[in-house]
Amino acid sequence: MRSLWLQVAAVTAINLKSIAQRRWLSLSTVIAIALVVVVLLAFLAMANGFQRTIAGSGADDIAIVLRAGSQAEINSTVSRDQVRLIEDGPGIARGSDGKPLISPELYLVVDGLKRSTHTKANLPLRGIGEQGGALRKGVTIIAGRMFSRGSNEVVVGKALLREFEGFEIGSTVAFGATRWNVVGVFDSGGNVFESEIWADLNVVQSLFNRNNIVQTVRARLTGPAALSELKNYSDNDPRLKLDVKSEAAYFAEQASQTSDLIQKLGWPLAIAMALGAIAGALNTMYSSVAARATEIATLRAIGFGGFPAFVGTLAESLLLAAIGGLLGAAATYFIFDGVTASTLGGNFTQVVFDFKLSPWLIAEGVALALVVGLIGGLFPALRAARLPIVEGLYAH
Amino acid sequence: MNDFDLVRKNLFRRKLRAILMIVSILIAFMIFGVLAGFYRAFTAGEDRAAADRMITVNKINFTQPMPIAYFNRVKSVDGVRQVTHANWFGGYYQDPKNFLVSLAIEPATYFDVYRSELDVPSEQLQAFIRDRSSALVGEKLAQKWGWKIGDRIPIASSIFSQKSGGHTWDFTIVGIVKGKVEYVDTNFLLFQYAYFDETRSFGKDTIGWMILQTTAPENNDRVAKAIDAMFANSTAETSTDTEKAFGKAFAAQFGNIALIVVLVVGAAFVTILMIVGNTMALSIRERTREIGVLKTLGFSGPRILAMVLGESMLLALLGGIPGLAIAALIAIALRNSLASIAPAFSVSPTIALQGVGLMVALGLITGIIPALNAMRLQIATALGRG
Repeated sequence: MRSLWLQVAAVTAINLKSIAQRRWLSLSTVIAIALVVVVLLAFLAMANGFQRTIAGSGADDIAIVLRAGSQAEINSTVSRDQVRLIEDGPGIARGSDGKPLISPELYLVVDGLKRSTHTKANLPLRGIGEQGGALRKGVTIIAGRMFSRGSNEVVVGKALLREFEGFEIGSTVAFGATRWNVVGVFDSGGNVFESEIWADLNVVQSLFNRNNIVQTVRARLTGPAALSELKNYSDNDPRLKLDVKSEAAYFAEQASQTSDLIQKLGWPLAIAMALGAIAGALNTMYSSVAARATEIATLRAIGFGGFPAFVGTLAESLLLAAIGGLLGAAATYFIFDGVTASTLGGNFTQVVFDFKLSPWLIAEGVALALVVGLIGGLFPALRAARLPIVEGLYAH
Repeated sequence: MNDFDLVRKNLFRRKLRAILMIVSILIAFMIFGVLAGFYRAFTAGEDRAAADRMITVNKINFTQPMPIAYFNRVKSVDGVRQVTHANWFGGYYQDPKNFLVSLAIEPATYFDVYRSELDVPSEQLQAFIRDRSSALVGEKLAQKWGWKIGDRIPIASSIFSQKSGGHTWDFTIVGIVKGKVEYVDTNFLLFQYAYFDETRSFGKDTIGWMILQTTAPENNDRVAKAIDAMFANSTAETSTDTEKAFGKAFAAQFGNIALIVVLVVGAAFVTILMIVGNTMALSIRERTREIGVLKTLGFSGPRILAMVLGESMLLALLGGIPGLAIAALIAIALRNSLASIAPAFSVSPTIALQGVGLMVALGLITGIIPALNAMRLQIATALGRG
């Protein structure tokens, strides 16, 4: 048994050392596999970044109230009277002054100009109530100041400022005939709110002719468990009949659709390409076996078994695949990780997000590479193991 | 035995190797066909937009409404042949998942503006104009749900509510709209704006956007400026643009799809190019001695060059053409499920031609270096080697 493993080790070492002789063919396999991994990981990193940005936006102890049946904020309407009823609802936390911690909000779509392409894109303008900022975790003004109540001032998210033109502090933006002054920039820890423009609810309502109507109400709950109380209250009052969800659940729903789509595009593409790369790997490995036919036959003639030849060939293939996989992962990391992109999200407005690789995704990429290496090496390895000695000795 | 037989026999001398290469090339062209077809369908709007059609939307954003009063004022602008308006309804049938494109339209003018794309029998159109709560449905949508003329169907809105409190409107189907050209996606429902406006609970007397047809494309710029100037400094300023520009800007919002397509096809191609190029070089090297023999027999250098190039070209075509054919089949299979995002998803003749062009390029690039080497090979070196 020991001698068998010694044989395996010896043949594997010979195989790996001889890669240099076939460097161009081997290099092409490595690069082919690396490219497959780059394509897969780029898609997965995009889906992952999008998911994190949106799903990271919601809290468990914040309730979001929408019109029943509306799938997103943009489609929802809640009347002034309903807002009052919610204020008095159960499970809603109150501030030190006894006022309920809620924020009625109006979500409108306005145009912005993308820095990279100079094309128009849909941006969200959110009119928020007095508690609007406080109801979102981790919101800090990183430059300038908060807008003042009753004025046409806006603050913009960090990501929005980065991706779209004309929102620098001190600049004036025009939405239709009204002009707004940008007075501050906020950071909310990389979540979806950073793609938004915020202004005072009452001003937005009057300048956009939406008096007495809001779209959503956000409320701080006394605890995550209070959600069901509020839900029951809404279901049992015929004047309400609203959808009550935790903010976390709402955003998880929004994120899943788009990131599913991206993944559904990425995997089939990567698998189709992987099939191409397998063909390449098979080619390389068959050539490797052919090139070493005399060598293998000589070893067999002096008493080495077929198994070491099999393992040696497979090891060569797996090593090439592993190098390709790691190279692909590294390339994806340097090219794509942290790259900012934006697309239309569930609310029909732009969501700015970063490509984000994770160790788990890298593992998926390297695993795909190894599968390519395994299949690409298996058949040539079998041939190496079964090579008739006499034929091998006369190969050249 | 002619030269082509020689080329064919050379290529398949190592059957397994040849088949593997053909498979890699097949996959590359399959990816090319599917992505190019998808991209074409995705950006279809821009290419097919009528040159004399323009869209007027609220300057704030196209989702913001504008007053209905604008409609009559735009009609009278010099250079406007016809104008109609529409309002997004956000409709669905039974379940929000069954989303359908539904618009509240101005019945008398809508089909005039879209006369080159939409086809509806005149008696059905008359019935539509007469009956306020009627609807016209696209052929594909009617087929999907088995709707017939005379059916009464409830359509709910994810945006609007009725004055009476509900979110559902009932419509009687009075006609089926067909597409006049292949690319028109008839997955829609159209109903009367007047009925919609008097039954909805908010947004009264506003419209979503106007579609106007100019007397000639040369007038587009002037008409757009005249319209936007007319509403400048009002509470609802407008932005008028050609249908093409509007469609392009909208498609751009999904992110840079073109870049992703180029990236993926590029990566697949580089991969295949390397594999095939390397293998070609390898197999020509193996045949050095034979090429020497051919030269001794009197084959000229250029003839050998042509034979080696012919071999790589044949390989590219043998893999590429079935690859494109498979892509075309995939497009047919996916067509219905992708109808809402990318209508008319197909591998068009243009794409097929581009594909063949790429195959020729692939054959040339992978074959040229081994072919040149083979052409320049000295008989003495060739026979002395190996």
